[in-house]
Amino acid sequence: MAGSTKNKVDLSVDFCGVTFKNPFLLSSSPVSNSAEMVAKSFEAGWGGVVFKTLNSDRLPIIHPSPRMNCIDYGSKKEMAVQNVEQISDRPLKHNLMEIQYLKMHYPDHPVIASIMGFFEDEWIYLAKIAEDNGADMLELNFSCPHMCIEGAGHKVGQAFHLIEQFTSAVKKNVSIPVIAKMTPNITDMNEPAVYAKNGGADAISAINTVRGISGVGLDDWVPRPNVFGKGAPSGTSGPAVKPIALNFISAMAKCEDLQIPLSGIGGIETWIDALEFLLLGSTTLQVTTGIMHYGYRIVEDMIEGLSDYMVERKISRVTDLVGKALPNLYETDHFELDRQGITQYDLDKCIGCGQCLIVCNDAAGQAIDWDSETRRPHLIEDKCLSCMLCSFVCPVPGLISYKEMPRDWQRRETTVMDPGLEKGLKYEPFTKEGPNECIA
Amino acid sequence: MNYADNFKQMRKGMDLVQAVAEADRCLLCHDAPCSTGCPANTEPAEFIRKLRFKNITGAIRTIKENNILGGACGVLCPTHRLCEEKCSARFASEERPEGADRPIQIGAIQRFLVEHGTKIGFKVFAPPEPRPEKVAVVGSGPAGLSCAAELAKAGLSVTIFESRPEPGGVLRYGVVANRFDLDFLNRELADVRSLGVDIRCNAPIDSTGGAEKLLKDGYQAVFLGPGLWDAATLKTDASGIDGLFSSVDYLSALRDGRFDDMVRRAEGKTVVVIGGGSVAMDCIESAARIGAKDVYLIYRRSFCQMPAEPDERNEAQELGVHFLLLNQPVGYEVDADNRICGVKLVRTRLGEADDSGRRRPENIPGSEWILEADLVIEAIGNQAPMDLSQAYPNVDVDARGLIQADSETGRTSVPGIFAGGDIVRGPALVVNAVQDGKTAAKAIIAYVTNGEA
Repeated sequence: MAGSTKNKVDLSVDFCGVTFKNPFLLSSSPVSNSAEMVAKSFEAGWGGVVFKTLNSDRLPIIHPSPRMNCIDYGSKKEMAVQNVEQISDRPLKHNLMEIQYLKMHYPDHPVIASIMGFFEDEWIYLAKIAEDNGADMLELNFSCPHMCIEGAGHKVGQAFHLIEQFTSAVKKNVSIPVIAKMTPNITDMNEPAVYAKNGGADAISAINTVRGISGVGLDDWVPRPNVFGKGAPSGTSGPAVKPIALNFISAMAKCEDLQIPLSGIGGIETWIDALEFLLLGSTTLQVTTGIMHYGYRIVEDMIEGLSDYMVERKISRVTDLVGKALPNLYETDHFELDRQGITQYDLDKCIGCGQCLIVCNDAAGQAIDWDSETRRPHLIEDKCLSCMLCSFVCPVPGLISYKEMPRDWQRRETTVMDPGLEKGLKYEPFTKEGPNECIA
Repeated sequence: MNYADNFKQMRKGMDLVQAVAEADRCLLCHDAPCSTGCPANTEPAEFIRKLRFKNITGAIRTIKENNILGGACGVLCPTHRLCEEKCSARFASEERPEGADRPIQIGAIQRFLVEHGTKIGFKVFAPPEPRPEKVAVVGSGPAGLSCAAELAKAGLSVTIFESRPEPGGVLRYGVVANRFDLDFLNRELADVRSLGVDIRCNAPIDSTGGAEKLLKDGYQAVFLGPGLWDAATLKTDASGIDGLFSSVDYLSALRDGRFDDMVRRAEGKTVVVIGGGSVAMDCIESAARIGAKDVYLIYRRSFCQMPAEPDERNEAQELGVHFLLLNQPVGYEVDADNRICGVKLVRTRLGEADDSGRRRPENIPGSEWILEADLVIEAIGNQAPMDLSQAYPNVDVDARGLIQADSETGRTSVPGIFAGGDIVRGPALVVNAVQDGKTAAKAIIAYVTNGEA
């Protein structure tokens, strides 16, 4: 718009040779179930879609009812959603017509077909038919957490040789780029991701949902969602899983054996979430739970917020942000432990609630004295652990902050309740040699 | 206590934490009833949603692009009967107890976002593609500023002609400073100027045909937004009484060089204000704050019939103002030097309902009495100056001197001349004037582009 500072940056990304006008995609889920829905999302501003996972019609797909449950935190709704939804229950022909419709009406919005087979021929069939009907890319769903059959869904994602085998089979039969979608229900994602790469995957997307139980009914003792008296551990998503997702994404981005583009998924709602995924190595970003909560409209604020951030930082292309936080990410053994600090309190701002006192007493270093007359905390500096718990609970922004102390500053040791007990102590020092890399 | 200092600054608004917490209560309704409640289409649903999704710069942009005086409206709007009246959060409680509803504080969030934009130095506007057309705007009140900003955003060259020494119109001379202070006004004016609008002060357009002549002086269109600056009076023969002021004159005095004189007249004295509208509330509140010993409000009807907003009435009561209801002024008492010394009142009672449905006050015979007073302010309404329309003799005006303009376009009977704000509507809200300015600007752009509005 003339006369406005709005959206004056380049948000387009190249992902495996496919151009997206912005990195924000619907992930394969209820939010990408039909062309009608996806078309609406494109009108709202989304850059592309991973269409709800296609099935070959070989097995009937019936969704359990009810399908979902959510976790609230205080008055905050939907900090996590648990679902027992299956892959698409629509006939394959319908889904293919939907993909064609989207390509016809939104040619500059890439459509990624998510597919899931149960054995090699089925994977190949779905891959070819999706390509033949206009899909720009494929996403191989190795991670649906609701599949109990060995060799399907996340059971593949946990059996690494199958990842390689199925990826390789698909790659040999299509020419469009292929993304492998990882399950987080493992310890280390780098290993299966490398298997996918060895099978020819062009990119990795992560994370699918985390197996979880969002709650248990207190009257009926049925884990939620209560599907006629039965619960099941199933896919949990939303803001609560973001730290898990960021960990896996950044680990894969740093993995020297991998080095293929990443599509980040997991709890993205705002432009700040999106930016964090970009900075830790994602090139595209996929969203479902944020849309389940607020609708497609949230993309408008992702676009505008990210654009304004880039203007302020004088960054003209969004791709210049990808992976920029990775050089600052280490394992904990790299920290400089001879640098220590404490909290500092700007008591002019204090309103006297004393939450800092409670958490310091019960969860930290007992480093606060309380003046009950003035209702104000007083920090005993050499007892402060710099855990920062007090700053997390303080309701006044900027009141409690961190300050580094001089190198020769010493923290006081925690007091022993009764030093007199030493004389009766049964104690020998441990003297054997062992590995010491971690304490350097 | 220094009354002057206390009086010249607004109360602090929300901070970021409070605004975020308040936005978190918003239900993000899909059909945005709050937005339909804003006469100037400031889009509260959109800016609250943006704040909610941490798109704070976008939220500021939404306000300022839709309403160049978004800060002023956030402060001055009677939001409880506009955007907030429609808020679904009012009804979100479990029990829905009567009177316990809590709409989202939209006005306060709006004010916060505008102030925050200044604090972080966020620029909403970029230089537009310049266009050759020139437009003259008469009056730098809300209507004129809004129209000028909208035209400038489209690249037109805009000159505002303001008769007073400083710009702002009612935002400067018609509102008390502790409701809307100079710092805040100057920031909003800076936003208008940043678009390239040229504001010329001490530049009245009052010669015969002066406004129409602008069309011959190189301006392709003219917007008239002079406002209503003549005071209605109870008695036409009362002029010349020392200590008797109109609300227009009194409130202007508090914002110009006569402030100290007005403090001297009120401090430790008895001040009487006549009227029951928002302007009367501004007068009594300010009189109390600048140190009057007793402030009386004279209103001929009952408390709940006052046109003033409920929060204004309640605040004035808490300041200790004496509300003399059911009393009708019938004359003034003056001393030998023609200085005011009292108001002659007659008690009233409520009779039958009039056309507006309000019960009409009737004087009670024989109940006359005199209230002693050192300073009397008549706050019974503003009207168009008698001689103003001679500046635009071919523009149709009604019997009250109000310009007849098309509500969809602001078009007047003279091609190329548009109008809006109080001079068209009669006394109305700042936010209505903002919308008039926007409406007219759209029509003016069409007019200078295609020759028709």
